[in-house]
Amino acid sequence: MEKLLNELPSSDIPAYNIKSDVGIDVKIPESLRRNLALGLPSIAESDLLRHFTNLSRENYALSTGFYPLGSCTMKYNPLINERISKNEAFTLIHPYQPIESVQGTLEIMYEFGRDLCELTGMDYFSLQQAAGAHGEFAGLLMIAEYFKSVNQVRTKIIVPDSAHGTNPSSAFFAGFDIVHLESEVDGSISPRKLKEILTKEVAAIMLTVPNTLGVFEKSILEISKIVHENGSLLYYDGANLNALMGIVRPGDMGFDIMHINLHKTFAAPHGGGGPGSGPVGVKAFLEPFLPIPRIEKNKYSEFVLNYKKSESIGRLKAFFGNFLIILRSYIYIKALGAEGLKNVSERAVLNANYMLARFKNRINVPAGDRCMHEFVLSLKLLLKNNIRTLDVSKRLLDYGFYAPTIYFPLIVEEAMMIEPTETESKEMLDDFIDVLIKIIFEEAVLEPQKLNEAPINMNIKRLNEVEAARKPILRWK
Amino acid sequence: MNYTSQNKKNKDDMFRTIGIKNVNELFDVIPKDLRAKKLNIEGEKTEQELLNYFSNIASKNKTLVSFRGAGIYDHYIPSLVTEVIGRSEFWTAYTPYQAEASQGTLQTIFEYQSLICAITGLDTSNASLYDGATAAAEAILLSLRVSNRNTILISQALHPEYIQTIKTYLGNSNVKIVIINVSPNGSIKESSVEAVMNDDVAAVIIQSPNYFGIVEDMHALSYVVKRKKSLFIAVINPLSLGIFQAPSEYNADIAVGEGQVLGSHMGFGGVTFGFMAAKKELKWKMPGRIVGQTVDKNNERGFVLTLQSREQHIRREKATSNICTNASLNALAACVFLSGWGDYGFKNLAEVNMSKARYAFDRIKLLDGFSIKFENKIFFNEFVIKTQKSIKRMNEVLLKNNILGPLDLSDMNEFLKNCVLFCVTEQRTKLEIDNLIKILSEI
Repeated sequence: MEKLLNELPSSDIPAYNIKSDVGIDVKIPESLRRNLALGLPSIAESDLLRHFTNLSRENYALSTGFYPLGSCTMKYNPLINERISKNEAFTLIHPYQPIESVQGTLEIMYEFGRDLCELTGMDYFSLQQAAGAHGEFAGLLMIAEYFKSVNQVRTKIIVPDSAHGTNPSSAFFAGFDIVHLESEVDGSISPRKLKEILTKEVAAIMLTVPNTLGVFEKSILEISKIVHENGSLLYYDGANLNALMGIVRPGDMGFDIMHINLHKTFAAPHGGGGPGSGPVGVKAFLEPFLPIPRIEKNKYSEFVLNYKKSESIGRLKAFFGNFLIILRSYIYIKALGAEGLKNVSERAVLNANYMLARFKNRINVPAGDRCMHEFVLSLKLLLKNNIRTLDVSKRLLDYGFYAPTIYFPLIVEEAMMIEPTETESKEMLDDFIDVLIKIIFEEAVLEPQKLNEAPINMNIKRLNEVEAARKPILRWK
Repeated sequence: MNYTSQNKKNKDDMFRTIGIKNVNELFDVIPKDLRAKKLNIEGEKTEQELLNYFSNIASKNKTLVSFRGAGIYDHYIPSLVTEVIGRSEFWTAYTPYQAEASQGTLQTIFEYQSLICAITGLDTSNASLYDGATAAAEAILLSLRVSNRNTILISQALHPEYIQTIKTYLGNSNVKIVIINVSPNGSIKESSVEAVMNDDVAAVIIQSPNYFGIVEDMHALSYVVKRKKSLFIAVINPLSLGIFQAPSEYNADIAVGEGQVLGSHMGFGGVTFGFMAAKKELKWKMPGRIVGQTVDKNNERGFVLTLQSREQHIRREKATSNICTNASLNALAACVFLSGWGDYGFKNLAEVNMSKARYAFDRIKLLDGFSIKFENKIFFNEFVIKTQKSIKRMNEVLLKNNILGPLDLSDMNEFLKNCVLFCVTEQRTKLEIDNLIKILSEI
């Protein structure tokens, strides 16, 4: 395995140094001066380059293989997005430059917001939030402000048990109490059960459509009616928007407020966990509560920043949002257009259904024979062989595949959640399906030991996560 | 462009396997009257068209010689940073859920955490947060979690957008926020903190160098805070740690800040990352992802996401935060940046920043119509100057010369009327500074 940075060959001079063309003038009183050694390693550039290059080769990535991670939408990240976003006229811009010197950046943010409105049926978008969960948090704060503005005390948010963990967590941090809604076996919502818990204290219900089992919420119009008749709002978690572009719009389904994860639907790179971007869209009546500043276009067609919004929830971070991520997603939209985006959703749903069709007669699928962009298998039948979904997922790594999302959603026992996305070929899907069937129906029966021990072919064997948490080592010595 | 592979035979095979005649059948479950009409979104451009289209938009931006900071700074980015974060094995990887296939990301995060601990002197770092402002807000939420207290004291010299962010985060709560007034010399006095301290204070949050560039006497402030057993949260510019006291040296419990200075572009203030380091007893209460070292079945060292029972995907509403993103790629840039400069280079970099700012300060203060705002204060790479000139006109003239002039502070409050905040980093040459001074002298 690759050494740690502090174990690399030490060099008396670091890789980089700097000269000054003015005299060094650093008079610092003892009380402010650093006495503690810095403790940064000093390493030659060549050794550092090898170190990080070697580490990169220990990484599975979209550029090396198939990532069937359900709910994560690991679609291809086009290279032109990277190329354009490295233009210095985008990267070397200070956020507090005079407005006339950043018109290009503001134009992109404004127009991107307009395209998102068209695509989702919402009226306004805020692009400030730095991630999907950040968007949820912003959206929920806006819901709180809205009800304050109409003098209603509503303290509760309904979250189905099939939802992502961020939903209840974001609602909690926005100051709400969480009411859990038991979902049906396919993850869908029963209007009857919803009615039972829908009191006047409920501010909103958060729904993911298609839900986390990949099923479209067929009662959505009825749900929307029930929720709105109660004076509550309908929140759309855009995690699964990749199934619906150009097909159906959240705004038309009755949703009042929503967020989008740009890395999921609009091909922003995942970067090993971030940075992200989580735009929030609202219907017009919630516009006053959006974060400030708002990017607007004045009557001279200039783009301006409007801070004068007295009912706004305020700001969610410093500056204006993760512009370089937003830029990549806007390039993606301009590459595809309305028709291309619709094709994306159609192909994503086709790919998922093809995989499901090949699995459904052999493996338990709690949500039925058809799906949208993803589906969930239950591998509980393997428990009798003392094999868990975790073992199967680790074995997939041996075959050169990343593992699907496992143990989510929580309502499915031994869940394996598969989302192929639109950018995988049939050949790739077939290869994956064949391997998974082989693991489940041959290896699990004939060589269960192999699965319990997997991965076997990787540079590193199965890692002990329990020990890591029991005796945390969070930095080098 | 079309990023999907197209093959008619394959498509027909897939239809047959599913048992459909066309792709529309897959959407039959969606009520007909809900289906979207044809959308009006322009696009379908080729690569070449995209490049031209966006070059045209980019030309509406102007890159400038910057003497402005206030939270985002123009620093040199070594070649190695660009090379490493440009590797698709890093930028196209997902959150490292499957540890055995993600050792690259995991080890670099572990190294990042170790380097942040080194410069702050604290025991534990998470894998990074969204940005400096949200890191400050999360630090406050952390302090509220570990205490049964309900008041937060915030330095008035904390970046205004950080204060606004904190207020938004606490917007629907009953937490009491008290602002500690900045003294006429531009810093926070111990007596000002003492005057508002009480047994309900969960944490006191102080920025140093503060928004006006001044290095606070963190040691003295921390001492006052500790007497009431409140947490001391330091918001710091990590680059200043090359020469100024580490948060551990003044007994800070939590250190947070904006990581952009460690190898990320300004990019209109996005994308950047926030860092958070804390004393080890706070680690189970920290927000965000954390990477830990462990061993595999053969007892070989490896790395995993750890302390996950803090997180939303397990604890849902009982989690320590709703965060499931770390700004991993920017944290990687910081990891490369810090290891590239090393001990000597990092200290040197901080010294050059301070020296160039001092060089500019010593000359601007002597110009007609310009004067020192805060006497005898130590600053890092930013400083406040009072001027009798029209700030608007001054910055217009500078802009015409392709220079981003200092930030106008006049609108902040009456006390800062006619004041501007200059920033001079290692990127500014003597020639550029001299040119700035020449233009200022002619205004």
